[in-house]
Amino acid sequence: MNGQSDAIPEQHSPRSPTPGLGWEQFSRELVEFFASIKLAMFLFLFIAITATIGTVIQQNERPESYIQEYGESTYRWFLRLGFTDVYHTWWFTSLLGLLCVNSLTCFHKRFPGVWRSMKQDRVSVSLDFVKGMKQQAEVSIASSKEMVSQQLAQHFIEKGYKVLAKNEPGEVTIYATKGVLGRVGAHMAHLSATVIIVGGLIGTYYGFQEFGVCLEGQTYHIPRGNFDLKVDKFWIDYHENGSVKSYNSTLTVIDGGQSVVTKTISVNDPLVYKGIWFYQSSYGDSWDQIEVARVNIKDKATDKVLKTVDLEWQKEQAVADLDLKLSITDFVADFAFNSTEKKVFSKTVEHANPAIRLAVIERSTVQSTPWIFYQFPDLFDIKESKYQFELVGYKPKKFTGLQIAKNPGINIVWTGSTMIVVGITLSSFIFHRRIWMKILPAPEGVTVYIGGTTHKSQIDFQKEFRKLTEKLRTFSASPS
Amino acid sequence: MVRSLFLFDMTFWLYLAALTLYIAYLFARRPVMTLAPAGHSTDNFDERDGAWATQLGQIATLITVFGWIVNTGALFTRAFERMQTSGTFAPWSNQFEAMAYVSWAIILGYVLLELRYKIKAVGAFVVGIGFIAMGAASLLPYRYQTAEPLVPALNSYWIYIHVSITLTSYAAFAMAGGLGVMYLFKERAERRGSTSRFYAAFPDLETIDELGYKAITVGFPLLAFGIILGAMWANYAWGGYWSWDPKETWSLIVWLIYGAYIHARMTRGWEGHRAAVYAIFGFLMVVFCFWGVNFLLSGLHAYA
Repeated sequence: MNGQSDAIPEQHSPRSPTPGLGWEQFSRELVEFFASIKLAMFLFLFIAITATIGTVIQQNERPESYIQEYGESTYRWFLRLGFTDVYHTWWFTSLLGLLCVNSLTCFHKRFPGVWRSMKQDRVSVSLDFVKGMKQQAEVSIASSKEMVSQQLAQHFIEKGYKVLAKNEPGEVTIYATKGVLGRVGAHMAHLSATVIIVGGLIGTYYGFQEFGVCLEGQTYHIPRGNFDLKVDKFWIDYHENGSVKSYNSTLTVIDGGQSVVTKTISVNDPLVYKGIWFYQSSYGDSWDQIEVARVNIKDKATDKVLKTVDLEWQKEQAVADLDLKLSITDFVADFAFNSTEKKVFSKTVEHANPAIRLAVIERSTVQSTPWIFYQFPDLFDIKESKYQFELVGYKPKKFTGLQIAKNPGINIVWTGSTMIVVGITLSSFIFHRRIWMKILPAPEGVTVYIGGTTHKSQIDFQKEFRKLTEKLRTFSASPS
Repeated sequence: MVRSLFLFDMTFWLYLAALTLYIAYLFARRPVMTLAPAGHSTDNFDERDGAWATQLGQIATLITVFGWIVNTGALFTRAFERMQTSGTFAPWSNQFEAMAYVSWAIILGYVLLELRYKIKAVGAFVVGIGFIAMGAASLLPYRYQTAEPLVPALNSYWIYIHVSITLTSYAAFAMAGGLGVMYLFKERAERRGSTSRFYAAFPDLETIDELGYKAITVGFPLLAFGIILGAMWANYAWGGYWSWDPKETWSLIVWLIYGAYIHARMTRGWEGHRAAVYAIFGFLMVVFCFWGVNFLLSGLHAYA
């Protein structure tokens, strides 16, 4: 992860002999740039800053609401910059892409070194190499080579280091290392960014997310899964104090003409079938169907209520004593009329201007089909009839709002998520330390050259190194 | 309800007492010259003064630990009360409880830090932040403080783990912020060449810096874990693991800010002063993510 302290002086790759802008140098500088920590910091902060935009400006609203709040010219700028849908603009996605390139290049540049030090570390190094380390010291000890190397090895093993030693004529080299997993973790986290984003892209391109409004008792075809879904029931459970405890829908999957699964879903408990998830997402009053309506039947002549009847949805019902049959054929929650198509429709889903259409059957023929308005009882007069009808009240059918989603990239996203959590945890709590020691004979005893490097937590390492050199000096104090 | 609110209240007063004692502890170590009556040897006073300060420090620690135990008791009592009103018992299910939990975590973090490093001066800053968190919670209107049953979206076992992990990361960042403030205090004193013994109990700059960095390296993976648990929960409850909801986005922003910090620490020049200022800035962003988003921005997390 660290560019400077990590580089081992001996590992200079042979420079290309031709000066100037050779391809090799260019590509090296390119890698250098894309693997740099500075780019990472820039991207982190720049993404953080731009991500705030979408939390301050409401996303994906209708143009009118932006114009109303910010004015037209500002809205035009919003559109140009993509501020109404920041997280899906080309430039925001490019930033995420660049973050992937950054972390992948870093992996490409530095992971081979980590891998090498996991597999085989060089024990024998030159004296200059040890002296050239960032942390280095030189201690003279009045003791024998064997004694010191044994004590050193002992010391490092106690501290949990892996120790390798090489005994050569005239000198002993000891290599101690610990915590390479921390660096593996960092690179795991680096890879995870790309894994998560790839998973996200797969989900975007091969998955879908839809919203379905479903009425009780109805069966709906799910074309994406080629099966049917029946909504058996929707209901709400309440706590004792009257607040909502849960919204529930009982769903049955019908595949190939047979019911396969029946499950009651609630907000935190979706139904999964063939990779398609059904979530309890919302509920509400239907805008084109009701369960029952209460209608007053009045005598036009006397303006007296003759009878009050409860009519069930689309069910012909005889009214006793009046030689009259009534049936509700239609309902709209917010009455509107399309004059070109000559059709009645519900302007919104709100119950702003509810109306029912009655089929009035007298003498076994449909005499009239008037619209009866809840709010305007006297709006229309039925000429052919001696009766006047009033809509007193109604109970709308409830619909359950189902979120229907399929995300084939989800497991890739979870893999990436696991990698990032495990990776960051490893790299936060474990750091890689490598220490080389060369023990050379001196006129009085031996001289120990010691050099060490770490990829982070320099201060901790400095302290550890200082303690180590102090410890080394005590070796000489007791030459046994 | 009343029982847990009483305990939360008691926690508040205990933390206030602890904070006062920690500050008093710092002042107790003032220069002996100002305290020693004329004609008396300052040496004796130095010693007695020191002993007094040590005792103060010990009492401060005791009160803090006691406050933390009461805080724990309050959370448990609240969990029990929740059990009776709704099926779940997570005592961090609304803004008030979440704040009380954060201060619990901050104080726990501080007590562990004091046990490990034996530095009491940090208490004046970190216990201070824990106290502010508890105080801010108790300033919330009463209707926010009670254990109302959970709305259906929150009624899930995910609330136990997602919320607690995320709040614990906030606590770690709060500690880092407190240590950042402490760093700036100490640095200012050093730059002015202050000989005041007020700063005598402070650890050296390098240690403060290192502790702050450590707090962030604890918070950073915890926040990542918290965000991912949130994504998993969202995938169960909302039908998508990421929907750029303000709270989600802000926790990502906070994570990115600390991500930049973690990377910056690898390069030269990002320790000390700059890191301390950055840690304070990061903590302010955490505060916004925790409070600001709930009260200023609308979104799926607007439950409070």
